[in-house]
Amino acid sequence: MKLFLLSIISVFMLMTSAHAGGHAASEPLSVHQEEDYEAKGMGEMLGNFFASTGIVALMSPDENELSAHGEPMSDFHKGWGRIIMILITFLLFWLAIKKGFEPLLLLPIGFGGLLANIPIAGISGPDGFLGVLYEAGLANQLFPILIFMGVGAMTDFGPLLANPKTALLGGAAQFGIFGTLVGAVALSEYTTLFDFTIKQASAISIIGGADGPTSIFIASALAPELLGAIAVASYSYMAMVPIIQPPIMKALTTDAERKIKMVTLRQVSRLEKLVFPIMVLTLAILVLPEATPLIGAFMFGNFLKVSGVVDRLSDTMENALINIITIFLGLAVGSKLSADQFLVADTLAILALGIVAFSAGTAAGVIMAKIMNMFPGTKVNPLIGSAGVSAVPMAARVSNKVGMEYDRSNILLMHAMGPNVAGVIGSAVAAGVLLSIFS
Amino acid sequence: METNLVIEGLKFMILGMGTVLVFLVVLIALMNLQQKIIERFFPEPKGAPAPSTPTAPTGQQKDNKKTVAAISAAIMHHNKV
Repeated sequence: MKLFLLSIISVFMLMTSAHAGGHAASEPLSVHQEEDYEAKGMGEMLGNFFASTGIVALMSPDENELSAHGEPMSDFHKGWGRIIMILITFLLFWLAIKKGFEPLLLLPIGFGGLLANIPIAGISGPDGFLGVLYEAGLANQLFPILIFMGVGAMTDFGPLLANPKTALLGGAAQFGIFGTLVGAVALSEYTTLFDFTIKQASAISIIGGADGPTSIFIASALAPELLGAIAVASYSYMAMVPIIQPPIMKALTTDAERKIKMVTLRQVSRLEKLVFPIMVLTLAILVLPEATPLIGAFMFGNFLKVSGVVDRLSDTMENALINIITIFLGLAVGSKLSADQFLVADTLAILALGIVAFSAGTAAGVIMAKIMNMFPGTKVNPLIGSAGVSAVPMAARVSNKVGMEYDRSNILLMHAMGPNVAGVIGSAVAAGVLLSIFS
Repeated sequence: METNLVIEGLKFMILGMGTVLVFLVVLIALMNLQQKIIERFFPEPKGAPAPSTPTAPTGQQKDNKKTVAAISAAIMHHNKV
């Protein structure tokens, strides 16, 4: 045993002397590379290493550590806050994997959040890879636009063209946005519950459009400081469409209305589908140029798809491109889940306002369908009204599912796709209006 | 004078919902118009819904003929031998 220790010590000494000798020999050659490195004792090294571990960083945070924005953080946000946020990301993993809620989005967002809450590494800081992704695509609104392109390439406007009047349902559902805007401003003005500026209130209420990319687009333009919470709220409510919508739909309709059968959709010619994206874009150019980044990208994707001559490109957009961007977007959104930005009172308020906006949009769509049924003409099943919120295609699937609960033979899916895609256009228009007000 | 934000919010709502609904109503009108124009002047050629369906069998038939020719040639060759 003694011999063993002795040999280790001698080897250690030999190495240090060899190192010192090597250093001395190379000194004349590399004068400029001389570092002010001082030999440290093993105990000191171990101590320093221990001080740089995550355990210490979480338990007794460094007083001088700054947030990703270079601002001082409270001890709570450096220590327990991070632990809480990491547990929240585990909850997101559970929701995505076990419950199947939008795993495509929740997993990248959750993992981004996990990485963003690591102390010392500074992954979501300006030099960390999440910070770089955020600057590259979210701060300048690039990723949401690219996502819209892919969604455009996935969208079939056939059901809308076959029954144009269902577009009204997609318009009515945007009431969720503006109703919540008024509510949020009123609560900020007359109570001490919230304290949002009108810009922030607008950015929050766009969650009611139930459209993740649009929410991010608006939030990064109007209230970048709230982007993380808004994106997380928006995507989590999109994931929870099957839970939030059915009770509202059932409460607002009678049994007879839920059993209304809709006439079979006519066949839409290819030329109609080809003209449609250009028509919508032209209309947007004339009425609302502010909305054209979103609508333009959306219609570009759709136009390429229906043109039928560039399958390679449209195929890339609806698969490879949108998948890549989803990864980047998810991680970049996740980087805003860091404790110092997420664990603030505003976040709870945003989550609360978001669900109000979402429910109001659903209700407005259903009520609009009931109003339309008061007029002569073919009847509309009010259950497809809820699909006017844009969450494509989950909202349409929910309409279909609730319809089937009351009449097994009533297939509403294709009928609900009409208001659903109109809802995407509607929320892009609503976003354009909000942008034009503040520009 | 301090602006009343609630009134501002209501203005936003009127402007926003108005724009969205007008946009979509115009869009509906255009869709109906477009359908009429296209049905009137550019009707889909009936009876040939997908040009790919008739071409596929002809190509196959050609192939079949080739195969038949090849097989009969092989049989003739075999018989000669």
